[in-house]
Amino acid sequence: MNRKPRLSFKAYFGQIVSGVQTMFEGMSISLASTFLKVQTVEYPDVDISSRESLRQSTYKGNMAGMPENYRGILKVDLDICTACLICMKACPIDCIAITNVKCDKRKFNGKSGKAAVQTRAATRFDIDIGKCMFCGLCVIPCPTGAIAHSKIFEMNRGSLAELVERFVTPEQAAKHEARALEIETEEAEKKAAKAKTDAEAKAKVEPKGEA
Amino acid sequence: MGKLRTELMTINMGPQHPSTHGVIRFIIDTDGEVIHRCEPDVGYLHRSIEKITEHLSWQGIVPFTDRVDYLCAMNSNWAYVMAVEKMIAVEVPRRAEFIRVMVGELNRISSHMIAIGTTDMDMGAFTPFIQLLREREYINDLLEMVSGARLTYNYLSIGGVNYDIPRNWLFKVEEFLNHFDPAMEQMNRLCTYNRIFINRMANLAPISKELAFDYNLVGPNLRGSGVKSDVRRDQPYSVYSELDFEIPVGEGFGGEVGDCYDRFMVRILEVRESIKILRQCIKMMPEGPIQAKVKNTIKPPEGHFYSRSETPRGDTGYFIESSGGTSPYRLKIRSGSFTGISITPAISKGILIADLVAVIGSLDIVAPELDR
Amino acid sequence: MIIELLTSVGIPELAAKFIFAGAVGFLAINFIAVYAGVVSVIERKVAAKMQSRVGPNRVGPGGWLQWLADGIKLMLKEDIHPHGADHFLFNMAPFLIVCGVAGAFAVLPWGPAHAIAADLNVGILYFISITSLVVVGILMAGWSSNNKWALIGGMRAAAQIVSYEIPVAMGLLPAIMIVGSLQVSALTESQGFMPWDWTAFDNPFALLGFLVFLTGSVAESNRAPFDLPEAESELVAGFFTEYSGFRFACFTLGEFAATWAIGAITTAVYLGGGQLPPSMAGMIPLSIGLFVLKTMSVVFLLMWFRWTLPRFRIDQMMDFSWKYLLPLSLVAFFGQAIYILISWDSPAMQTIVSHLLALAVLGVIFLFAGRVAYNIKIQLIPINTLSTEIGPLERAGKIAPPPAVVEEVETAEEGA
Repeated sequence: MNRKPRLSFKAYFGQIVSGVQTMFEGMSISLASTFLKVQTVEYPDVDISSRESLRQSTYKGNMAGMPENYRGILKVDLDICTACLICMKACPIDCIAITNVKCDKRKFNGKSGKAAVQTRAATRFDIDIGKCMFCGLCVIPCPTGAIAHSKIFEMNRGSLAELVERFVTPEQAAKHEARALEIETEEAEKKAAKAKTDAEAKAKVEPKGEA
Repeated sequence: MGKLRTELMTINMGPQHPSTHGVIRFIIDTDGEVIHRCEPDVGYLHRSIEKITEHLSWQGIVPFTDRVDYLCAMNSNWAYVMAVEKMIAVEVPRRAEFIRVMVGELNRISSHMIAIGTTDMDMGAFTPFIQLLREREYINDLLEMVSGARLTYNYLSIGGVNYDIPRNWLFKVEEFLNHFDPAMEQMNRLCTYNRIFINRMANLAPISKELAFDYNLVGPNLRGSGVKSDVRRDQPYSVYSELDFEIPVGEGFGGEVGDCYDRFMVRILEVRESIKILRQCIKMMPEGPIQAKVKNTIKPPEGHFYSRSETPRGDTGYFIESSGGTSPYRLKIRSGSFTGISITPAISKGILIADLVAVIGSLDIVAPELDR
Repeated sequence: MIIELLTSVGIPELAAKFIFAGAVGFLAINFIAVYAGVVSVIERKVAAKMQSRVGPNRVGPGGWLQWLADGIKLMLKEDIHPHGADHFLFNMAPFLIVCGVAGAFAVLPWGPAHAIAADLNVGILYFISITSLVVVGILMAGWSSNNKWALIGGMRAAAQIVSYEIPVAMGLLPAIMIVGSLQVSALTESQGFMPWDWTAFDNPFALLGFLVFLTGSVAESNRAPFDLPEAESELVAGFFTEYSGFRFACFTLGEFAATWAIGAITTAVYLGGGQLPPSMAGMIPLSIGLFVLKTMSVVFLLMWFRWTLPRFRIDQMMDFSWKYLLPLSLVAFFGQAIYILISWDSPAMQTIVSHLLALAVLGVIFLFAGRVAYNIKIQLIPINTLSTEIGPLERAGKIAPPPAVVEEVETAEEGA
């Protein structure tokens, strides 16, 4: 045990006086807090994503509803998704799974105003929100702004399987796959036709060369 | 009648103990309440972040650095991002640097508030802790506005920041500072200047300069021992060389230099310095881009790189051994908490169990940073 | 009175006494149970307000039935005995603590000076000694749990309660000297309705004795800042670490009942009890109401201490008792003796001193209110006066942010 130095009389009374003084001060502060409004947002009772309900509640913080760039669970706008797999590659924990097939070529402007060309369509776009850590790394490189964070943060599900968000419905996938098959056969036909024409052209040229 | 046999009592403090702030275990031998031996046992929160990073892309490591030290995720991001920027020789835009300084300092304040608050709580004063958390919520709101998350921000990217600051954000920060400056002083009057509190913290477990150097203490723990050392001043990174701020050191505020109260007070003074830095940044914030041009897949040159930065827990270093691939060959994090906890056996001989709680609190140990 | 009624019916005196004691005990235990429940909710509400929180608000209107839910939960919980515990002592300890506190209720007044279950002529002595039973229970709980934290808690409690017995007893001496009796009813009766008629403001030494008594009582009831035996950040939960279910409820019951005991005895001895002005003498409900109000104010003071102050260290706590409270209580004791000698023949002096003291205390209260107002003002500095928006384009940093919207605030800094 540390040996304590002996207190002088002045220090002894100083201790008493400062003890009483600081106690007085501390108690005035804790009493002052009792007169103020509570700061808790009673979450399920108050809709914290809306500014109006927050203003009506006791909350007086900086938050005015959810901020515009709140990182909730991911949502995908398949209309502008080009299935380019950039988000899948960017994800550090591999919670995005995409498979794609060829589709009709389509040109449009993405959400950031940049022109994009779609050549492939997703037949599977699964995000495992049980794994997702909401880092936003998939959103940043997306060329069209198809994948983005929503403001939804309530993500409890009944089972583990439901934790996987499947954005492409089986019907859509089947449609895309059928279309891809058509395109492939078309392309194969085209190729065959091209090969044929090439061969014919060659055949036309060759005799000339021979001649 | 035989001689009365006495022996030391060995107690496990932790892994589940209210005051070890996470899962740390101390094996203490006590004689009554006086500690004769105290041995920290770490590793209960080991998540092998260093190993995981060997399979990740360079940009994909950033969210993992959030989790290394969750109390100052911005500063952790910053420390890592600086190492990579050094590797690929990218110049960060000036606006991005100022944004980084601002979010870093805001996060430093919020981290120190947790450190101060938990120490208060360990001393038995619960109200200051909750009131500090209330003020911290405002900082969380501010950081949520810029980054979209409240704890694991992943805001800094290699070569800049991910999102620009929202409109009016600077006003909001200034408004917050106007509110927070007196509020922090009020919190001090509530607990820090309390006579009981000072008596408990002062002259407790003093760390001399020599001992601090021996154990390689960093950050506020080292400054508490009266050493003027701060990476922001010693090896200025970012725009810290342009900013005007003091480095508070322990001067024996309550008793001896380097005691628990000094370490505690250094954090409070640092909060004031951070406020000063923030006010300057609001005035100096330039316009411009927020992100340098960096390729999507970064392929740095071979070699090893080390960067230091000043996080709330001191000099945090990221050592990267690169083999020229898309992920590091080896990444090593050097954290202030680890050296902080390693000094506990040396300074906790002969103190009481209640004092050990104060010592742990004043060293500001964060368990995930300790074990990575 | 009730005993006489019973004997007049024909019941033997001994049996009548037992019936009376049983009835009083039943009432006291039930009062303790209900009071402890309600005051636990009040304490949590007060703590929540001091910490800008909401507190319990789910069970019943405004959360005021939380204590029922807690009680039912604790009763239905499994009663766990740790391996290697001393079963007999482990089972007995919580009830000993409740006994110790409930025993004190025998001499507590309930408003009018004579509304006491047993108006002993050594009431104060009985109060001081019966509450010491608590230390035995705590020590038993600490020892029998077979847990090192609990043992340390128990040892701390023993040291603490034994050493704070002395300042508590000495702190009551000035009041006893003024009245010249150890009887609680006599101590109450000697006071009046107005503050300057209270014993606490009789003279500076009585006030000092009052403060020493209050501080010592806080320590004796193991409440913060003297809650070392159960220091949750040091000893997990101290001496009741291993307890669960109903036995745990008994500890909390004892702790909260002790707050009432302290409040009631402080009110009765120092703060005028349930004394009404002479014009309203005999209005018993009013007197009870006044008494309960004063008692609850003291209980609130104890809560206020608990949620403001940091905890003492064990050696500092002992220092505080032996180096500070004991000398101060001696000063109060001798000062009171000398004051009585001087002012024996001069009622005028007594009147002037007590009035001045009451005035001084009022001044301190005003000073305090000023500080409270100042601290409220600091907390009211606004924080959310501007709206912040960021569009999806801005968010990606794709275009430069538009200039700041000026909303009656200087915009000199923005974009500088």
